[in-house]
Amino acid sequence: MTTTPTERSGAHRSLADTDAPDVIKVQREDGTLDPARDPGLSSAEVRALYRAGLLTRRLDERLITLQRQGRIGFHIGSLGEEATILGAAFALRPQDWILPCYREFGAALLRGMPLQRYVDNMFGNAGDPAKGRQMPDHCFWKPAHYASVSSPIGTQITHATGVAWAAKIKKDDVVALAYFGEGATSSADFHNGINFAGVFKVPAVFICRNNGWAISVPAERQTASETFAEKGIAYGVPSVRVDGNDLFAVIHTTRAAVASAARGEGPTLIEALTYRLEGHSTSDDPRAYRPDAELEPWKRLDPLPRLRRHLEVCHGLTDAEDQALLAEVDAEIRAAVEAAGETALPSLDSLFDDVFAELPWHLADQRDALRKGPRARGH
Amino acid sequence: MKIYEFKLPDIGEGVTEGEIVKWLVTPGEVVREDQPMVEVMTDKATVTITAPKAGTIVETRGAVGGLVPVHSVLVVFDLGGSDAAPAAQGARPKESAATAVGDIKEHLPGMDLAHTTPPPAVKPQLTAAAPVYFNPKPLATPATRRLARELGFDLRVVSPTGPNGRVTRDDVRGFAAVTSPPPVTLGTGAVAAPVVNNGNAEPLSLRVPLAETRIEAPLPLPPAVDRVASASAAAPPQPVRIASVAPGAGALEERIPLRGMRKRIFEGMARSKHTAAHFTFVEECDVTALKALRARLKPAAEKAGVKLTFLPFFVKACVAALKRHPTLNSAFDESTQEIVQRRYYNIGIASATESGLIVPVIRDADRKSLLDIAREIARLSEDTKSGKVKPEDLGNGTFTITSLGQQGGLFATPILNFPEVAILGIHQMKEKPVVRDGQIVIGDVMLLSLSFDHRIIDGHIGAAFAYEIIGYLQDPDRLFLEMG
Amino acid sequence: MPQMNMVQAINDALRFEMKRDSRVVILGEDVGKVGGVFRVTAGLYDEFGEDRVIDTPLSEGGIIGTAIGMALYGLVPVPEIQFADFIFPAYDQIVSELAKYRYRSGGEYSAKLVIRTPMGGGIRGGLYHSQSPEAQFIHVAGLKVVCPSNPADAKGLLLASIRDPDPVIFFEPKRIYRASRGEVPEGDHTVPLGKARVVRPGQSLTIVAWGAMLYESLAAAQQAAEQGIDCEVIDLRTLWPLDIETIVASVKKTGRLVVVHEAPKSCGLGGEIVSLVNEKAFLHLEAPPVRVTGFDTPFPYTLENEYLPLAHRILPALVETARY
Repeated sequence: MTTTPTERSGAHRSLADTDAPDVIKVQREDGTLDPARDPGLSSAEVRALYRAGLLTRRLDERLITLQRQGRIGFHIGSLGEEATILGAAFALRPQDWILPCYREFGAALLRGMPLQRYVDNMFGNAGDPAKGRQMPDHCFWKPAHYASVSSPIGTQITHATGVAWAAKIKKDDVVALAYFGEGATSSADFHNGINFAGVFKVPAVFICRNNGWAISVPAERQTASETFAEKGIAYGVPSVRVDGNDLFAVIHTTRAAVASAARGEGPTLIEALTYRLEGHSTSDDPRAYRPDAELEPWKRLDPLPRLRRHLEVCHGLTDAEDQALLAEVDAEIRAAVEAAGETALPSLDSLFDDVFAELPWHLADQRDALRKGPRARGH
Repeated sequence: MKIYEFKLPDIGEGVTEGEIVKWLVTPGEVVREDQPMVEVMTDKATVTITAPKAGTIVETRGAVGGLVPVHSVLVVFDLGGSDAAPAAQGARPKESAATAVGDIKEHLPGMDLAHTTPPPAVKPQLTAAAPVYFNPKPLATPATRRLARELGFDLRVVSPTGPNGRVTRDDVRGFAAVTSPPPVTLGTGAVAAPVVNNGNAEPLSLRVPLAETRIEAPLPLPPAVDRVASASAAAPPQPVRIASVAPGAGALEERIPLRGMRKRIFEGMARSKHTAAHFTFVEECDVTALKALRARLKPAAEKAGVKLTFLPFFVKACVAALKRHPTLNSAFDESTQEIVQRRYYNIGIASATESGLIVPVIRDADRKSLLDIAREIARLSEDTKSGKVKPEDLGNGTFTITSLGQQGGLFATPILNFPEVAILGIHQMKEKPVVRDGQIVIGDVMLLSLSFDHRIIDGHIGAAFAYEIIGYLQDPDRLFLEMG
Repeated sequence: MPQMNMVQAINDALRFEMKRDSRVVILGEDVGKVGGVFRVTAGLYDEFGEDRVIDTPLSEGGIIGTAIGMALYGLVPVPEIQFADFIFPAYDQIVSELAKYRYRSGGEYSAKLVIRTPMGGGIRGGLYHSQSPEAQFIHVAGLKVVCPSNPADAKGLLLASIRDPDPVIFFEPKRIYRASRGEVPEGDHTVPLGKARVVRPGQSLTIVAWGAMLYESLAAAQQAAEQGIDCEVIDLRTLWPLDIETIVASVKKTGRLVVVHEAPKSCGLGGEIVSLVNEKAFLHLEAPPVRVTGFDTPFPYTLENEYLPLAHRILPALVETARY
């Protein structure tokens, strides 16, 4: 089996499948919404989501630039996947939990994480909630029930099952939502998490962002199945496919899954068809394995211009308003970046805190030895 | 506007700042990559720093003649273009391609260290003969080492009796019991007050750092010493076991535990021989004049109640010679690596007792008359015979005289009384043919055997000292000339 | 005070705590209806129901991963891994997530749970039912590791572990599950984590041991006493964080140290203890510290009594160290 762009089998990445009959779509070519599935958002809500999308997109672009300038070390973004990420998050209720992968900072911001905290996390400074301990984009925001990001793939899936399960045991009206890429469906944690979720019928929603690539490995190499959604059958977990670049389709589908979970009907697996427009991260150059030509059709399906079209058509968005929103968002980002650049580094002592709830003797010894010795020179 | 702050790079070599010599660009100017921007002088050189990127100069920081610390901002650029992704795509640095995450650098400091040829082996400097200890690298458990440290003893000079040549705690404690005070560090002598000399207070001992006493190129080690030193360095000495005869074969051996005075002598002799590089110088001495002098003085001494032997004369001759050759009256302080030349003269007289050898000391022999010394010798001899030598009469000697006269003997190789550097052995006086005024006559001849520590006393110096003593003994009137 | 074996003591502890704290939840393979393959959780399913004593699918990664999710949400899970030999599918969740959650979330989140798992050999279990992998967890920053040697400590340490704010790996020395018997205080009985116990005071030599090998060490110490060697025997109880003060005070007194553990020698906890003693009591040492351990081999079946550091192998080490 080759991986040249023209030949594919197995799980799709071609555009044709977004037109497949089982794939849920809501927004039509003309920018209007299918009334049968229209989630019924207000103008304000749609504008807010659009602004959130712009913020996420402009952040991505700015952070990539900052990384090229050497001001931050790394960024792993969500360019092209904003509709999947923001739509699913929007469909949750305030008490619901998110167990993210690492691309979903847009969801955290949407649910109330202050931009400054996120940018501080990118700079790894003293304002970072993770206290500079993690790579950039490995953040969390407890008030939004946005759990902590780790680098290993798929581990959050079992966590989501556990959270949902605990809520069920405690009889709380809480749904847990996990995001993961299609690559994670190959992991042991996908199997364990979905399996346990099915067996114990936990109130969880699993969002598989099928964005076509796991670094350089295309989706069709992750599985011999035709789709990722159909894996749910093996676990007895209902599944559905959705046009991941159609914000309203994502909202509609996720809402339904959340409601079903909240009713005690168990978990749902949602496969969102989308595309990773950028490289895997700032450390990856996709031109090494992916011809630029492949992006073109997906650029036409870019969720943000699509959303703008809907706003123009159905909510009277003007160019001026669009520009103003862009300027607002850019200004916010610039201010946060400036402030982050001026914030101090985490303290030396903080290196040893939070390993345990209290500092044990051996860490106190090590901390004292470090304090007494010479400091490292700059990177 | 894409702001880029260019910082004065760290060019290494300990440079911490540079002085701005000349600006080659001005704010507002558009520069291309590698265009010269500024000349900066460090204490190593003046360098021209070029633009790292193309762009517009927004700000230059630092006036001509001003000092700019390394890593501080020197030039602010506007690199131009928007912040959009396409520009970012174009600016992809080559280095980041081959990694999923993280920052794998092309160059890191120190990576060439593994490839450098090893530096030429440093030839060890030949110093004066290394002290030959029981084991130059003594073996001991940590607890024993701490004990030795606390008691002030060098493990190298403690005889090891433990398994595998180890110094045990008992070895250390045993050594401490018979050695007082810890001998490796030398104090300033028994007399507290400095000697007043022409109104100037002089210290009684002169400490000479070892290095200063070395003469130009150090002498090569005599091969024998080398072998011994390397042999002992090669492996720790295994304690030698004298195999017992099978039981039931009768008492063919008697085992006497090493204790008390014998143990002390045992250890003292071993220590002396294992530290000093002994050499012996032997010479004849015509004591005819001395004999005559003593005969003349004997009645006067008896009247003063003193038995006058030859020994007081030997003492005085030695003191006089020591004054002229102060190095011979010194000792080596191991702890400070100094040769301590003493200006007080405590002459030890090696004396045999039933239990073994002791060395009672005549203190400040230079300040005592011949008669005083004779009295002292008599007293010490009496105490020695009765086994009642007082502790204050032992130890802290600066020179020793040992007599082998009763039994005769041609010459001997006396062992230094650690930590002294010279010892005089005196043999029997015999009648022998001697040449005087061209005639062979019968004269009284005495042989002297002197041993020296060659680490400190070179051959010719030892010889000169020996001749000095001989000179005083052959012509005792000279003592009268120098009587203080 | 009731007499119990270790299985009963642990059962008692779990029952007590589940009554006291409704957040405590047990999950694992065969823990519910059957009460555990060693019957440690017997009766708890009937008493607390299927929501709190849960039979899971066969997936250690799933058990620990979901338990972490439960812990994040606010339950206090006490998952069981049926044999420590089978903990490795969960190792990623333990190392990457459990151990690091507090640190990486600035102390705001904590994934607090207690993993109970039988460990150790001497039950004719061979390669896959006998391992003692404690070092592989100590070496991961963020985990506490505990190993009781007797029923009272098993109860006390388990309650302390469940109430400790940090994740704990609770190793149960299965060889003495039933053989170790003793009085176990009723009700709320805790033993503090991080505190060792001097089981046998002595003057000449310090033995540090834990789990089943504590008894082998005591037997060897008794035989050594007949040869005039007076050993002080320390039961670690908490493997990490180590009670270094107790160990060092003892070595300063005796000057001699022997560490006994079943786990393979190289890179075992014994090496860490010896290093720490070197750092803190070097000048007091009269003999090189010695480890009597399992070998650097997989755990054998037929020759298991040659592999284990039993009393017959400990004694010569005591004698040699005492006579060094």
